[in-house]
Amino acid sequence: MQGTRRLQKELTDLQQSPMKVFRDIQVDESNILLWQGLIVPENPPYNKGAFRVEISFPPEYPFKPPKILFRTKIYHPNVDEQGRVCLSMILPDNWKPATRTEQVIHALVTLVNEPEPDHPLRNDLAEEYLRDRKRFMKNAEDFTKRHAEKRPID
Amino acid sequence: MATSWLAWFLEALSKFLNFITFGKMLREEIEDTDLTVNVKFSKDLIIPVKISSDMTVQQIKDQLASELSIPQQELRIIFAGKELMDQTILQDFDVGDQTILHAVKQKQAQTSISIPEVNAETTCPLSDSIVKLQLTDSDRKTLGSSIDIRRVHFFVFCNDPCKQVCPGKLRVRCATCLQGTLLLQEDPQCWEDVLSKGRLKGKCQNDSCTGSDAEFFFKCAAHTPNTDNAAPLEHVKNNFQEVPCIACQDISQIVLVFPCEASHVICLECFLAYCLSRLNERKFVQTDLFGYTLACPVNCADSFIKDAHHFRVLGYEQYQRYQRFATEDFILKAGGVFCPRPGCGAGILLDETLSKCNKVTCSRIEGQGCGFVFCRDCLQGAHIGPCQEEDVAERDLTLAMQREDTAGGTLFMVDEDRASRSRWDKSSRITIKGTTKPCPKCRTPTERSGGCMHMACGRCDLEWCWICQAEWTRSCQGSHWFG
Repeated sequence: MQGTRRLQKELTDLQQSPMKVFRDIQVDESNILLWQGLIVPENPPYNKGAFRVEISFPPEYPFKPPKILFRTKIYHPNVDEQGRVCLSMILPDNWKPATRTEQVIHALVTLVNEPEPDHPLRNDLAEEYLRDRKRFMKNAEDFTKRHAEKRPID
Repeated sequence: MATSWLAWFLEALSKFLNFITFGKMLREEIEDTDLTVNVKFSKDLIIPVKISSDMTVQQIKDQLASELSIPQQELRIIFAGKELMDQTILQDFDVGDQTILHAVKQKQAQTSISIPEVNAETTCPLSDSIVKLQLTDSDRKTLGSSIDIRRVHFFVFCNDPCKQVCPGKLRVRCATCLQGTLLLQEDPQCWEDVLSKGRLKGKCQNDSCTGSDAEFFFKCAAHTPNTDNAAPLEHVKNNFQEVPCIACQDISQIVLVFPCEASHVICLECFLAYCLSRLNERKFVQTDLFGYTLACPVNCADSFIKDAHHFRVLGYEQYQRYQRFATEDFILKAGGVFCPRPGCGAGILLDETLSKCNKVTCSRIEGQGCGFVFCRDCLQGAHIGPCQEEDVAERDLTLAMQREDTAGGTLFMVDEDRASRSRWDKSSRITIKGTTKPCPKCRTPTERSGGCMHMACGRCDLEWCWICQAEWTRSCQGSHWFG
């Protein structure tokens, strides 16, 4: 209940001061616990496209962290093939109720821009990232061009 | 001429309307400000006195003097640890309906000695001293010099009839004779002064008592008369700073302030949600100083709620559950066991000296215990020699059942239902067997309700892998974090 109120407020705040790197926030009116948005990364190789993610909040929010799922396929050491991502800020043990969704989004965008090969979810990509950066960049760019959404024009 | 007639008529009409509609309300208003206080002179002599809004202590003494036939100068009126001065207006001094005042006869011999010893500020009611404690420096700044003390409260949990957090009143009595005839030596300076018995001294004015220890207690200010003690909530405060709640970000009038350095603020509604969510996960912490409690949601150091009464906001049923979890956790941490016999489940602390022997008796003490004698390791009936492996597996299920019992409430424990309950037991056993895996360290059956393969045991804190059924490693994270 109190979670819903807080989310409504966070949503309004986000809509009033839009971010460049996270846009097009969509929330179904009947379920404020499920958000969608478009990550628009600035760093190569991901700056050739945009990535749709889903943020789902538990009913216990903000005492339990939200979960993040990539809806767009991405070639990234920290995102697995099902789109799941390991963001330390929203692990149950690290979660702080005062953390706002805006901060979570910032952390997520930072992770997309700068992969952390030390805590990978895809070992193969992490290896490639560390051993053959050139090839990784090329593969990731090709993958982005093929699978990612179009970047919004402004 | 015509207008003056009209004016006269209108005035008469309004007077008449006033008479029929507001007259009744007016009378009630007067009755509202007319309170009855009970003046206690001795154990058996309580004199009810009606007081009006401007009645002074002097006037009440006049009335009592004639009723008790004691010279007015020899009477002293004591209320909440303080002697009331003659010119004090009673209703300004936190005296409400049904309040009990204590009247004593001046102890002749000690008059000149005892009065100088009593230093408590007699111009401010006792409750105000604790209310002032609740104010922080920045509160004072916000409120300015003109603190209207009636706007400031400290809070209690009123169990009956309010069943919620209410403004509180502070009272004091003599720890020896338990009468309110104690005069405080000084006002309390901190919560500890109030919460620990005998920390503050005073002088009991009861003729037959020589007590000098003060015992404070609390009442709910929301209803009268009240005979029940209420539990003080030292972390609950007025939110004069208008600090937003850490969870919902709303600004509430009454908030709970955690004792961490950052003084994190949470509104009572979110505090309830926080307690419930932690209780459901059994994530309360057993501490030496404060019992089974919670830290602030940010996990700051030194932020534990210091008194379990704050968790009464959970409501009666959930508070019972909280108490049950607290007891169980305490017994488990102390290396104890629970009687495995269905329907018993009594907690048993083990005698260290018997640690070589596995036999445990569930002794019948004070209506608890069933007399069952069992093996500490496999939780089956006592036996000679090593436990059967099957029995150990059975034990894990028994442990799980006990957890389920406590988590789901013990309402099933009705004798007539025993037959159906045993079926429920069995089906529940099968479910647990089918859906759980044991923690690799403490063997607690664990259910994975979703999410990743990274398990954290709620009992022994081991981080383990659902697939490998072994401690969590980096390769688990890399290869099958999500299955």
